[in-house]
Amino acid sequence: MEVTVVTVLHFKWEYKQSMNSTSSHSAVANELYEMLSPGVQAELVKAERSMTVPEGTTLIRQDVPPENLVIINSGKVAVSLNCMRGAASVDYSEPGKVFGMRALVSGELPEINVTCVESCSITVVPRDYFLSLLQNNPEIYFGVAKVLSSDLKIADRILRKNSRRFFCGPRSRTVKPD
Amino acid sequence: MAYHFQIIEDCLKCAFREHNLFCDLSREALGRLQHIKATSVYPKGALLCLEGQSPRGIFVLCTGRAKLSTTSSEGKSMILRVAEPGEVLGLTAAVSGSPYEATVETLEPSQANFIAQADFVRFLQEFPDVGLKVAKQLTHNCKCAYDEIRSLGLSNSVPEKLAKLILRWAEHPLDLSTKKPNEIAVRVTLTQEEIAQFIGTSRETVSRVLTGFRKKGFIRVKGATWTIINRRALENLVTT
Repeated sequence: MEVTVVTVLHFKWEYKQSMNSTSSHSAVANELYEMLSPGVQAELVKAERSMTVPEGTTLIRQDVPPENLVIINSGKVAVSLNCMRGAASVDYSEPGKVFGMRALVSGELPEINVTCVESCSITVVPRDYFLSLLQNNPEIYFGVAKVLSSDLKIADRILRKNSRRFFCGPRSRTVKPD
Repeated sequence: MAYHFQIIEDCLKCAFREHNLFCDLSREALGRLQHIKATSVYPKGALLCLEGQSPRGIFVLCTGRAKLSTTSSEGKSMILRVAEPGEVLGLTAAVSGSPYEATVETLEPSQANFIAQADFVRFLQEFPDVGLKVAKQLTHNCKCAYDEIRSLGLSNSVPEKLAKLILRWAEHPLDLSTKKPNEIAVRVTLTQEEIAQFIGTSRETVSRVLTGFRKKGFIRVKGATWTIINRRALENLVTT
């Protein structure tokens, strides 16, 4: 438990120390905003903060509730999942990807780590603000569905990429039926 | 009744809708769904959609089961999961407009309601409760995918993986009068080749491990009905 607390504190410190904060609207169109009405977008912009974070910054940590929705404006991040045999990972670099949505809307702990593999420009929206906005504007769920769809694609990519490592069977072989 | 199940044409009268994740919608939403869906019945082995195919729409699986499979990075066929009644198939592709991520094939005669992509997107935008259900379904699918990844990395031996799979099936037991107390009967519609694709091994290995399970008295196999005789023994194989 102590280790977890230290990790969380480090995470917060990392954020505060590393961010080169501005208050501007996220420069890149992202998978969430593009599905929302201009009115809802404007509400989100009120609470968002944009910043630049250095390489190695952990944006989402497995099993730690995220405090923000994180939008990648530019830069490359890696998505990984801790397993007993090590981390199963996949690179993800597409600007406009939103992370932390699943944990925010379901209340469950994140199952992935999202780490910057280079300096990244990000925009964050505080969790409580987003959830309150979602409650009052259920049409946001369409955007939520789009973000969750791309999360599922990432999970499938991790599965495909790591299947070779974990699968123990031989390559395809002709077999006789029973 | 050729398929041994009753075809449900009216979602408003469906007795199962409250038990299904997606179908428990408001009456207004169900009324609209009734207008935009097309009900079809498929035989075993029917392909509902193909991996890489442009999205045409979604399928709500009403009755039956379907396997979702994909191709691994080295070209092997992998079964991602088996969809149960009430699940929406092709959701990711329909919402994002990208090609289908998996091939969906029915494992038994099934009923599915098809909704064209444009109709579904309008339906989603018009009824917020549908959006909520879709978000829940996607959240559930993500969790299943992450569990699968962890299970690939954690399960070391094929007996362990197979035991885990059988115990997962045991969560939906058959109600058979012929079984003895403490026995659990499950219906297995996957072939040994498909089970091998599910747990990442070869068909021969599945066959060998199954024979071992039978000889040790862990399970009894009669056609598609598998009976778990010694659940504790299977649980003891699962270390993770």
